Amino acid sequence: MLPEETFGTFVSLLFAVSALILIMFLPALLELKKPKDAGPKSISENASNSAEMFFLQSIEREEKHILDSEILKRIGEIIGFLPNLES
Amino acid sequence: MIVEFLEILLFALLVLMIAYLVRHCLFSITALNFLMKRKKDEIQNMQDTKYEPTVTILIPARDEQHVVDRILQRMTELTYPKNKTQIIIINDASVDETGKIADNYFKNHSNIQVIHRSKKAGGTGKASALNYALRYARNEILLCFDADYYPQTDIVEKLVQPFADPKVGAVQGRVIVLNEPQSLVTRLVALERIGGYRVDQQARNSLGLITQFGGTVGGFRRALLDRLGGWDESILAEDTDLTFRVYLAGYRVHYVLDAECYEEAVENWRAYWKQRYRWAKGHMQCCFKHWYKFLTSKNLNLKQKIDGLLLLNIYYMPVFSLFLWIIGALLFLINLPQWLSLLWGPVQFSLLSFTGNFAPFFEVGIGAYLDQRKRACWLIPLLIFTFLYNILICTKAFFDLAISKICRKTYHNWDKTIHSGNGNCYIL
Repeated sequence: MLPEETFGTFVSLLFAVSALILIMFLPALLELKKPKDAGPKSISENASNSAEMFFLQSIEREEKHILDSEILKRIGEIIGFLPNLES
Repeated sequence: MIVEFLEILLFALLVLMIAYLVRHCLFSITALNFLMKRKKDEIQNMQDTKYEPTVTILIPARDEQHVVDRILQRMTELTYPKNKTQIIIINDASVDETGKIADNYFKNHSNIQVIHRSKKAGGTGKASALNYALRYARNEILLCFDADYYPQTDIVEKLVQPFADPKVGAVQGRVIVLNEPQSLVTRLVALERIGGYRVDQQARNSLGLITQFGGTVGGFRRALLDRLGGWDESILAEDTDLTFRVYLAGYRVHYVLDAECYEEAVENWRAYWKQRYRWAKGHMQCCFKHWYKFLTSKNLNLKQKIDGLLLLNIYYMPVFSLFLWIIGALLFLINLPQWLSLLWGPVQFSLLSFTGNFAPFFEVGIGAYLDQRKRACWLIPLLIFTFLYNILICTKAFFDLAISKICRKTYHNWDKTIHSGNGNCYIL
């Protein structure tokens, strides 16, 4: 029969290790359950270079926003729409 | 006596582990630095440079009816001048519809050629199929694609550019997993690819170390390949073997990050085992074949020799990790040396350095960040399972190879990866 203190230490250690494992794997389990990752990098013949160039510039200016091709298209749509407001 | 021996062995393994840890940290810093220093005009220069040699594309295919149509269709969409492109698909003793599908493309496209290998002559591995196709290849640059791949339409232009430098003997492009969302295995393989191609390969290229030809999405100078005698059919990792032979001949392999190609990753753990077992055993064969020549070569500088030896031994590291644990446990039970308790921290971190199957977890994280996929990093803790699985794979490969060396067996069975075509639905 183990002394109570040793048993208590053992149980605490087991609980701590289990908690650590759970904390370590919890983000992975959440991502698997409800994936929010954008998925594989899309192969676009010219847009990938453009996206990287904007990414480089934003790092150089220490900006927080990273532009990608989707955002570029959106900006283009907004710029195209603006003249219509005047009419 | 035994205890002293175990201590020396443990110390040697620890030094090796820490060497890999330093290597991977260096690669991670280099990959980040590469992005910071890569200027807009460098990217623009790459686009403006015009070097257009004649190209032969080799596509070995065995029982690839689910995927071969996809790559052949893509070959017809390439933007490289068709009068400078020869496409050869090698139907390597297929028993399904691969040959018929390829023949349809041959009928409708003058630059696509099909070679049919009989069951008697073919089906003995990729190296054999590629060597067979060499006699039909007539152009100065040879590029290779596996049948399950899906490249950019301008990938040929990007892959041939580095050959303008006469010291470049081979090139390698980037591989991206197409069917990533399909299963847990495909997601973990995708993470490995991100770390391996976005960080590891790029860093090795930037630092002038040993960049690896991965067997696909890459190519060689025809003249160099002829001089080297083609692919070695006795080696399971014919791509790694050729990489080292290119460097030993005084040339180098150039990595082209922007030359991107999708691949269909293995979908389940059994297929993962078969594929990685072949890679591990083949890589270990290369280590036996090249380590001494690499160490004594006059065509390589010191850093290339060090990196080359580390690369040759990389598939032994999971086996050494297992030995490290066993020896550490034995010493703990027999007699724990004081220095071991001091080094235990670095030991654990060094072992963690291997989590991610040779593209450590921090390389994967950096690669995902550079690809703007921070959410994918949440899956990194799961790489511990592939690491443990790889310990089993590499240990089996190690003992199988050791037995075959003792028995002087030269033939190694090529266990082909089966492609289901499930990646087709993910093409944008």
